[in-house]
Amino acid sequence: MRGLLQDLVDSASGRASYADARHVRTLVEEVALRNGELDLLDRREEEGIGVRVRVKGAWGFAAVRGSGRADGEDAVARALALAEAQPVAGGELALAPEPPARGSHASPCETDPFEVSLDDKLALLAEADAAMRSEPLVSVARGQLLSRCQEKTFASSEGALCEQRVTECGGGLEAVAVGVSGTQVRSYPGSHSGHIAQAGWEHVLALDLVGHAPRVAAEAAALLSAPVCPSDRTTLVLAKEQLGLQIHESVGHALELDRVLGGEASYAGTSFVPAEGIGSTRLGSELMSVTADATLPGALGTFRWDDEGVQAQCVALVRDGTLRGFLSSRESAAEVRLERSGGCMRAEGFARQPIVRMTNVSLDAGTAGTLEELIAATRRGIYMETNRSWSIDSRRLHFQFAGEAAWEIVDGRLGRMLRDPVYAGTTPRFWGGLDAVCSPSEWGLVSVTNCGKGEPGQLASVSHGSAPARFRDVLVGSG
Amino acid sequence: MSAQAPREVAERAREAAGAAQALATVTRERSLALRFARSRPTQATSVDDLTVEVAVVTDGHVGRAATNDIGPEALRRCAGAAVLAAETAARAAGAGVYPGFPEPGALRARHGHDPETARLAPERGGEALSAAFEVAAETATEASGLWTAGEVETAIATPSGPVLVDRMTDAFLKVVAVGPGGRSGYATRTAVSLRDIDSRAVTARAAGKAGGAQADRRSADHRTVPPAAAALEPVVLGPGEYNVVMEPHAVHELLWVLGLSAFNGLAHAEGRGALDGRLHTRVVSPAINLSDSPRHPSTLPRAFDSEAVAKAPLPLIEDGVAHRVVHDVRSGAIAAASSTGHAGAAGGGPSGPVPVNLVMAGGGAADEQELCAGVEHGIYVTRLWYTNIVRTAESLFTAVTRDGTFLIEDGRVTRPVADMRVTDSALGVLSRVRALGSRSVLTSDGELYGRRFASGSVCPPLRAAAVRFTGSAASG
Repeated sequence: MRGLLQDLVDSASGRASYADARHVRTLVEEVALRNGELDLLDRREEEGIGVRVRVKGAWGFAAVRGSGRADGEDAVARALALAEAQPVAGGELALAPEPPARGSHASPCETDPFEVSLDDKLALLAEADAAMRSEPLVSVARGQLLSRCQEKTFASSEGALCEQRVTECGGGLEAVAVGVSGTQVRSYPGSHSGHIAQAGWEHVLALDLVGHAPRVAAEAAALLSAPVCPSDRTTLVLAKEQLGLQIHESVGHALELDRVLGGEASYAGTSFVPAEGIGSTRLGSELMSVTADATLPGALGTFRWDDEGVQAQCVALVRDGTLRGFLSSRESAAEVRLERSGGCMRAEGFARQPIVRMTNVSLDAGTAGTLEELIAATRRGIYMETNRSWSIDSRRLHFQFAGEAAWEIVDGRLGRMLRDPVYAGTTPRFWGGLDAVCSPSEWGLVSVTNCGKGEPGQLASVSHGSAPARFRDVLVGSG
Repeated sequence: MSAQAPREVAERAREAAGAAQALATVTRERSLALRFARSRPTQATSVDDLTVEVAVVTDGHVGRAATNDIGPEALRRCAGAAVLAAETAARAAGAGVYPGFPEPGALRARHGHDPETARLAPERGGEALSAAFEVAAETATEASGLWTAGEVETAIATPSGPVLVDRMTDAFLKVVAVGPGGRSGYATRTAVSLRDIDSRAVTARAAGKAGGAQADRRSADHRTVPPAAAALEPVVLGPGEYNVVMEPHAVHELLWVLGLSAFNGLAHAEGRGALDGRLHTRVVSPAINLSDSPRHPSTLPRAFDSEAVAKAPLPLIEDGVAHRVVHDVRSGAIAAASSTGHAGAAGGGPSGPVPVNLVMAGGGAADEQELCAGVEHGIYVTRLWYTNIVRTAESLFTAVTRDGTFLIEDGRVTRPVADMRVTDSALGVLSRVRALGSRSVLTSDGELYGRRFASGSVCPPLRAAAVRFTGSAASG
């Protein structure tokens, strides 16, 4: 495969100023039980070659299934024809320089999840399912597991040649209770697929899905009779799963340089953050320090090289509340004269071209101690867990998030459970209200596996690290 | 691929499953997608790929496996994985609810394929981009967007023998124009054939909403939203209830919410749906008539669903009264009903069946301008963005307006409004409809994730009262 990819990029070089080729083989298995019945048992394999060329500043990308020479040559021809058919882009800006990627990499994995039998996976889910359905008010109990392995080989016309193998797995639970007051849901360890990590089956075992199932079901049932979250401007403490999505939507996406430069204006949107704002744009309080780290062990946005061969990096995005960097590619970095790409180009499989994606964008831990200590230090407010709904405008400025459950904080203690909690705000003001972040002992990763971007659409997976944090003067209510 | 047509591959995949009750589906996609931003090409993708999926039923459980390798060994491995999955599930969970794949229905002829579009000539895309850039330059705007065309051929080898084949093409152009003052405007066109995609017209429409100079003031669009008004500074409105005029793009989002929350047969069967306990009652304005119409002349037609059930027209709401939800085989089995031909996956997808050819009948208003004429003070909404369901049982959603939000004063559009968040019930909005435009148009957002599945709804613009706006970036 290495030789073929080198031949393909060499063959394009006569007509293209730059070319790269990726061979990707992906294996995915999804297993889910719903009320004791099989909800999903799906195993998908795909393999193919994607070729990307640049001609007079215009990109052309073509994908073909398989791994044969004729397939690859067909992809090269189509990529060149596509690039050459487009209106001239108005001059070609050189890509930000990058030494050619060489070598190989494999993510850590103690127990290959594909070596664990389906019987064992279904037995685990069945036990958790039964535990959730022992709660009479639970109408739908669902448990799911995901295993994924991807092997990539990459070559470029600049001499890059590297291979990577990544294994991911994880899972989660969801209990839906239905009563006269409506429908309530609780999830563990998070909504939207649970918690997926770059790891082996050992990660699934560590989640202890069975152990958490009774609590998840009981909380879903309890929410049915809980009072509605009151509307107020108040102090909000976010658990790390919801905080992870808050970071993802309002910080991560806002700092994607392609968006900042208008390249995503027609779909994903733009950004309220100016391209020239490094060092001067305030994004939050002094406690807000955010990094994009593609080297974080176990995280879904971790790799050795991105999909244009740039080595993984840890980039400071926000330091003490001030903008320090962007998520970038070789092209976008060159456009704003950064010395180097931030290494954020990733593609979903072989049939999509790489675009700027988040690596693991995380909030640094603070000094507020444990969650219990943070609550104890809060006189009055709302503590909210687990995302239920999310929406943010196309500049990543005005957002509204709904949680699965909340609790009132009264005199430093958690009080009544509250249902249907939502909060809304604008990004710099919200982050400006950050006044406490829990200590490193509370810091951990959450996963986002459904991040949509690009046309044709691509779903990316990424992790976010954070510790529970407190925000002042937030608009909270129900919805 | 000519020697390995999807029909033949589907038959070989089904045979590879042996005696099992197996459904084999081959979906071949050939597509082009050219993106542009700031009046320059940015990304261009050409895909030639297929998916072979084998679904096997054992004791009421469906196991599935998929590959994009059509070699004999790969097909055997794929079929074997599906058989193993179904058998393991049956062993682990006992008898399941899935009754087996239905007999394929009789298919009707349809209009969904255009050979010229299926040629997928890159030059057509290049010409469309050039035309968009020309209009953008003429109107002093910058054009961003997507031009895409594709051909998808689907073959399903059914357990009882027949192989169903469907071929469709689709074409889509979207333009977001940004004017010198930073205002943005949006326009799209979706069709079966590239012949129906006029890049100049779509770009001109978007440019007018962005306040573009020299935009054609004679067009109906620009009579509704005068470019000079669109170029003004936006006004900030506070939260509250407003009368609105929604373009079809915004109405399409409401229908998407209803597809997931109200018409989803699985959510309904589980007591979570927005029509739970409300079928055969009036749930929206009597002016609303909504059906799933896979053979409607304006839609992107489909012959069958993922379980080989023939598509057929299905009235959902008549004169405001909800009549039914949609089912695949699994949700039908749970609800003691038959499949209505809405499976998104063989065996049913986890999120349940949804309608993909929604058609809302139009009303008596000539166009958006006439709809605005009935509004003393309100908001004109071109599109809703980042729509997400907050509470399924109430069809409660939240979304943000984008790329063309305007103030309506004394019956006409007077200036832009800073984008606002809408948080309301989709059924609630439709219950407050006061008038509908006469012309329903095929509307799509052009989002094509995974294997290409182009779809859209056919809907008119509308006027509704007391739509709940809950804030904005400007108002907090």
